[in-house]
Amino acid sequence: MNNNTLLKKSEPYLWLLPSIVLMAVFVVFPILIVFKLAFSEISKAGIAGGFVGLQNFRDAIALPAFKTVMLNTLWWVLSVVILSTVIGFIVAMVLNQKFRGRKIARAIVVFPWATSLVIQASVWNYIIKYEYGNLNNVLLNLGIIKEAINWRSSYQIEFIWECGVGIFVTIPFVTFCVLSGLQSIDGTLYEAADIDGAGFWSKLFNITIPLVKPSLTVSTVLNIIYVFNSFPIVYTMTKGAPVHKTDTLITYLYMLSFHERQKGPATALSVIGFLILCLCAGIYMISVLRKEEN
Amino acid sequence: MKERSVIVKENRTSVIVLILAFALICTLLCLPAYEFTSSIYTKKSGNTFVGDEKYVAVKAEVEAVAEDYRADGIEVTLKENVIERTNSKGKTTSMVSFSLDHTFTKSGWSFINSGLTSSWVLLGIILCSALSCACGLAGIVGSMGDSYNRLDGRSAAFRSASGYLALFVMLLVPVFFMMNTFAMSRQVKLFTSETITDGADEFYALLNAFLFDGTAGDNISSALSGLTFKNTYAAWGILPCAFAMMLAAISLRRGTIGHTFMRGLLYAFVIVMCVFILYPYYVMLVTGLRSSAEANDMYFLHIFPTEWRFENLKYIMGRGIPKYLLNSLLIAGGATCIALLCGIPAAFAMARMKFKGRNAFLGFVIMSQMFSPVVLLIGIAQLMSALKLNDSLVGLMLINAAFNQAFAIWLLRGTFVSISSEMEQAAKIDGCNTVQSLVKILIPMAAPGIVTTLIFVFINAWNEYTISTILISTAANRPITVGITQFSSFNMIEWQYLFASSLLATVPVVILFMCIEKHLTSGLTAGGVKG
Repeated sequence: MNNNTLLKKSEPYLWLLPSIVLMAVFVVFPILIVFKLAFSEISKAGIAGGFVGLQNFRDAIALPAFKTVMLNTLWWVLSVVILSTVIGFIVAMVLNQKFRGRKIARAIVVFPWATSLVIQASVWNYIIKYEYGNLNNVLLNLGIIKEAINWRSSYQIEFIWECGVGIFVTIPFVTFCVLSGLQSIDGTLYEAADIDGAGFWSKLFNITIPLVKPSLTVSTVLNIIYVFNSFPIVYTMTKGAPVHKTDTLITYLYMLSFHERQKGPATALSVIGFLILCLCAGIYMISVLRKEEN
Repeated sequence: MKERSVIVKENRTSVIVLILAFALICTLLCLPAYEFTSSIYTKKSGNTFVGDEKYVAVKAEVEAVAEDYRADGIEVTLKENVIERTNSKGKTTSMVSFSLDHTFTKSGWSFINSGLTSSWVLLGIILCSALSCACGLAGIVGSMGDSYNRLDGRSAAFRSASGYLALFVMLLVPVFFMMNTFAMSRQVKLFTSETITDGADEFYALLNAFLFDGTAGDNISSALSGLTFKNTYAAWGILPCAFAMMLAAISLRRGTIGHTFMRGLLYAFVIVMCVFILYPYYVMLVTGLRSSAEANDMYFLHIFPTEWRFENLKYIMGRGIPKYLLNSLLIAGGATCIALLCGIPAAFAMARMKFKGRNAFLGFVIMSQMFSPVVLLIGIAQLMSALKLNDSLVGLMLINAAFNQAFAIWLLRGTFVSISSEMEQAAKIDGCNTVQSLVKILIPMAAPGIVTTLIFVFINAWNEYTISTILISTAANRPITVGITQFSSFNMIEWQYLFASSLLATVPVVILFMCIEKHLTSGLTAGGVKG
């Protein structure tokens, strides 16, 4: 009998066990390793030694590219998240209307989401090539431009293109998050507003936005994390060239640790990135759990 | 029901818009919208510096020629182009080339009897817009006072036909522009460089008559070689006109022309958006099936390859792509299985059982949804080499499963919560244990949600790139996302093969994603949004 109650009590944990083991080994453990490495001395060959305190962090901040990379990361996250949220919201509003071919339009909007970022980035890389890129080709063909334009004349412009591709691939996610919010809005609210003589803008600000706000929060926080972690776009399009001027934190730490043999500062950057993400995750968690309570 | 007088008034507006738009199209076609510049005379002078004796002499000579042309009534402008070079000894040399440019304009209308291919397109534009206008008038004037749902069949058919014709005009206009500007100059280049000789004489004769009124004579080839084209922005005005015509013709269906206009804008937005989204895929398709020369040719004229080279697909088969696809399939399939095998029990416990630490686990799940493997790259690389799982497919399966675990639990839990537990309780009374009730009752009922989760995890694992680049060192173990990068090296990228294999990697996933598109909103709502 005693045995039986013990079994009953531990049953839920048995159900959770495989999942916990999987996550503990492959998610929690790497986190611990990164933290341990960040505070250890690391040789050029990548072998960890004793505790060195904050030395790795000091090294990381002293890196010549540190400031550029941090600024780039900030720009990258801000521009991609904000613009894709705005555009994604508009697209969702449009797709929520009833019109012929809506199903097809929705299916098409999903495309960039379903495509690997490496592939998407390679295609755009080809499109904006100066010598034979498809964009020049199409514009010349349409007679819109007279001579081929160099779409990537400086690294700043290349970085803008990278942000553009980032926005392009992020829009579908926002769109579908907002759509799920829009679909749960009761249509009678709008009818009531129509009777009251509310215009488009007043309906937008008084009904739509407040009601899709939870979806928007979730999509924004998740986006911050996805975009922050996005590696393939920058890596495929410029590889951070010239001299880390277009790198974001993620690509930079990859370069540092796997190409430039500077594991120490790289792990420190990794921890910094991780802490930034934890901050976002914390905000997200609070907002979700608060809703859970409701 | 709207008042008859209101409908008559709206219809009258439609008629006016229709006529005005058609008149504007005709006007725009008559405007000199195409600007041609041809250099009819060039003279190069080597070893010349601007301002020295030789320069002055040559310039005078060129100006004399220009005067001759002007005397014949041909307007020319003199252009000079200075090229300066510094040689290895530090000495600067300079070359000046003078050219006499003759600029003249043609209206869209004048293409009609030019004999060029584009004249047929122009004929199409004119005929279709005229027909559209006529049909619209016939459809509206006959039934000025009837609301749309009481229209007789003939009027309705006329109005629809008018709308479709105007739409067709909108499609023809860019084709016409393309044929007149870039396509023509490309054709000219092919003839003047003597890449093609067949039909050169006929072509020259046509252009001589059309552009130079037959005055160029034997010099036609040189006159054409420096020819540049430009269509002025007036030419693009035809598009909005055709758009207005379309709206006017079908306006009654939506009530007023204002409503129709908003509706039209909606469609225009959707179409532009879809074109924009599909553009990279189009590029992938046409470049993937081109020859290398065409993929690297800036003056590539055609929208589609001149010949579809399915050999590219055959070639990449020999470069290991099938193996990579298989690897990706194994990794994504394995990761999905592991994620679901671990995730379903966990989600089940979270949805159906009450226990201590439930909220803590929930918090952990939400939190770990935030962790991306990328920021932990270094830790993962270290861990995997300690476990001897680097460079193995199993390692990638586990990593992908682990990092998708949170999302899977989240989605599944949402699905399970939304299903009432009555059936399971009934089964329990009949003597089923918990496992049986899960497998026999809950899983079949939650099938749509499970399939959504499954596909989601599969796609994420299939598209994963960063971890694979680090963990996999043997070529034979690469997944497709890493495998395609073999076609791009530092100095050369084999675009056609890169995109041919990208196609193979993309098509299956896009199809899968389209399958769950319907569940995507509800899935996200159940998992991440609603909680």
